[in-house]
Amino acid sequence: MSATTVDTRALLDNTTDDPRRRAPLVLNHTEFGFVTDTVCGVVERTTPRSWYIAFAAALLMTGVMFAMITYLITTGIGVWGIQVPVGWGFAIVNFVFWVGIGHAGTLISAILFLLRQKWRTSINRFAEGMTIFAVVCAGIFPGIHVGRMWVAYWLFPVPNQMQMWPNFRSPLLWDVFAVGTYATVSLLFWYMGMIPDLATLRDRATTRLRWFVYGVLSLGWRSSNRHWHRFEMAYLLLAALATPLVLSVHSVVSFDFAVSIIPGWHTTIFPPYFVAGAIFSGFAMVVTLVIPTRHFFKLGEIITLRHLENMSKIMLATGMMVGLAYSTEFFIAWYSGNAYESFTFLNRAFGPYAWAYWIMVTCNVVVPQIFWSKRMRTNLVVMWIASILINVGMWFERFVIVVSSLSRDYLPTSWGYYRPTIIDVLTFAGSFGLFFTLFLLFVRFLPIIGMAEVKGVMPAALHGEPGHGDYHGDVVERVGRRGGAR
Amino acid sequence: MKQVADITTEVRRLDPALPLWLGVGAATAAVGIAGAVALASTQEHGWGRLLESYLVSFALFLALTLGALFFVMLQHITRAGWSVVVRRIAETLACNAWLMAVLAIPVVLGMDHLYHWSHVEAAAHDPVLVGKMGFLNPTFFVIRLGIYFLIWGLLAWFFHRTSVRQDTTLDPKLTVRMERAAGPGLVLFALSANFAAFDLLMSLDPHWFSTIFGVYYFAVSVVTFFAVMPKILVSLQWKGVLSRAVTVEHFHDLGKLLFAFNVFWAYIAFSQYMLIWYGNIPEETQWYLKRQTGDWAWVSLALLVFHFIIPFLVLVSRAVKRRPRLLAFTGSYMVVMCWLDLYWLVIPEFSPGSVRFGLIDVFCFLGVAGVYTLALTFRLKRHSLIAEGDPRLQESMAFHTA
Repeated sequence: MSATTVDTRALLDNTTDDPRRRAPLVLNHTEFGFVTDTVCGVVERTTPRSWYIAFAAALLMTGVMFAMITYLITTGIGVWGIQVPVGWGFAIVNFVFWVGIGHAGTLISAILFLLRQKWRTSINRFAEGMTIFAVVCAGIFPGIHVGRMWVAYWLFPVPNQMQMWPNFRSPLLWDVFAVGTYATVSLLFWYMGMIPDLATLRDRATTRLRWFVYGVLSLGWRSSNRHWHRFEMAYLLLAALATPLVLSVHSVVSFDFAVSIIPGWHTTIFPPYFVAGAIFSGFAMVVTLVIPTRHFFKLGEIITLRHLENMSKIMLATGMMVGLAYSTEFFIAWYSGNAYESFTFLNRAFGPYAWAYWIMVTCNVVVPQIFWSKRMRTNLVVMWIASILINVGMWFERFVIVVSSLSRDYLPTSWGYYRPTIIDVLTFAGSFGLFFTLFLLFVRFLPIIGMAEVKGVMPAALHGEPGHGDYHGDVVERVGRRGGAR
Repeated sequence: MKQVADITTEVRRLDPALPLWLGVGAATAAVGIAGAVALASTQEHGWGRLLESYLVSFALFLALTLGALFFVMLQHITRAGWSVVVRRIAETLACNAWLMAVLAIPVVLGMDHLYHWSHVEAAAHDPVLVGKMGFLNPTFFVIRLGIYFLIWGLLAWFFHRTSVRQDTTLDPKLTVRMERAAGPGLVLFALSANFAAFDLLMSLDPHWFSTIFGVYYFAVSVVTFFAVMPKILVSLQWKGVLSRAVTVEHFHDLGKLLFAFNVFWAYIAFSQYMLIWYGNIPEETQWYLKRQTGDWAWVSLALLVFHFIIPFLVLVSRAVKRRPRLLAFTGSYMVVMCWLDLYWLVIPEFSPGSVRFGLIDVFCFLGVAGVYTLALTFRLKRHSLIAEGDPRLQESMAFHTA
């Protein structure tokens, strides 16, 4: 059977593992126009009704969050469940959760770029966008946690006549710098990478408004050789600069806890352990978002099963790292011979917050184990559910760290039990509204896949260099034959 | 398309370099062992010092072996193409896990001197050590070491044997098999290397503990491995071996990884130090106190400057990474720094306040290095130096960094 007679639509599985050839990263199509049409098509079609429904729901949730924040500001921090001894509750948990989510985007855009992982091209724009939105959500929580939030700008070292400065020895201030740098660099990286694609949208614009807006955003991009040359160098340099950020941001977040002397917080493995957890949760969030988006906009030939399988593998790997960190902490708590340390960990596993601890262990360590199986890694429903469970687990990880350690520290007379209020819960739920609002706007108005980059890993761009997809025809044929036998 | 060297005309056996490698290995081993033994038997407390210094060199070459094993499994699990031409050497380095198991015998025999917790009677009067006795006791220590070396030895053997078999069978299924084994292999590796670091190095001060310590030793391992690789390749190419298959592009990538993991080492070292310094709890700071009082303060600062800052500035340069001999020199320098790092981890436990660096340390290093080189040479000479049956060989040979 020759490749031409095969119904090429049959080819949607490129997860076959043949080391003699690199699997194609764009399926069924070799022409660049397909990528342009598909990705631009998402933005150019008339807005689907379902988008309006989703957007309205997201906006409503965002409204709920701002209503809760207004109530918080007008009434006071007492509307939350925080109390002595648990002075850090949902707000810090949510902050760490959202900052962590962002890390997958930076890992994909910077580290996987430096490691020449070409499959990243289909998902990096998406993940970078998610990074920005997650950081926006994260930034809200410390801001509203300061109590008198009208002086939240005191977080920054602003010169003033009172000579009042933030405490430079406090990791909370380091956070301001770490997250600030992170947001800036991520935004620059995301925007800069988008310029050629924005120019494509400009060139395809059918209305003057589109032409004008995309024209302004694409900064006069003309796709000249010189433009590309500088673009690629700038991209490489930004990737190199963003790489340490993947590690530094969540390391600094972990310092918030680890520099203290509270048992369960003060432990040296926190920086790399938080980074691994952040990447873990970030990839889970990418999968949670990418599977429905891919399905809805029929992007399965660009964000292929192989991309999703690779992400499952990364979730498995980072989940195992997190599991290793849990067990190391547990072991050293015993090994240290420190009664407080051992108590803290036994208390986590069997104390009043044992339910949260076991949700965390189940979701973060047990659930990813299904990804040892290729069938599970390529089953979208399983993957999607697992990714949500991992997000739940990672939220609970931060909850366990923050709450269990604070609720029972050195002095049993001051022990307590933290209960979030409905305001806590609604504020957190509302932050998802904000996240999805931004995400839906992104999907509607910006190129959600880096077209220029995807084209760069298609066989036509490789000029005979060995790379992904140069054996495209063979794969089609093999799959076709299998299809024929059925 | 770039001109790709033809594998069939490449010199890919160790033979041209064999006399040199055997000669250097044997001479180094002889000088090292003779010197170390001579000094140990003539100096006061000589045998104790020999043992302490031996542990440093042992930990360094164990690090090299583990770094190589990690590299091999990482290449398989990521389906790496660029590294095929350098992978056989890493596979062979990893096989020295068996040699390291033998070299662990002096550590076990010298347990009495090296590990305070092994004195059961003394430990029985120390409430902290009593609590740890279930873990830190001579029998369990030896059992654990046995398990670690069994894991490393079997993993290294599996990847080396399968890869060698592929040289003749050219069977791509073997690549898939190694890829599948690399996942569970890395899990076993992470667990065993983590605990081996606690056992061999952290328990030198049985009161002290640090959850990141395993990661620290892992960082040392990977840095040592990437520091050694360019030197091995350059000395092969000097004799005309692998002179076309391994190109400047491969050196460039090895250099990048050396740079990256050295920064990773600094990150881990900083995290550990900063958190303990900031927490300022005596039971943790006492370990660093030993290392920042007396002469040791200078060693600590030297590590910061010569293990991190200077190599950072040197290796960040593209020019250095693309000059194989310069990279090999930098790598050799990094090996010395990794040795100094381990020296700083081990020796202050026995000699607080004074560094007392001496010839015996040099001889110890030479002795272990010589024996290690000989074992490596004997295994390397039996097979091709390239995983020539690997289906991604062409991709590796045509590889160029963007």
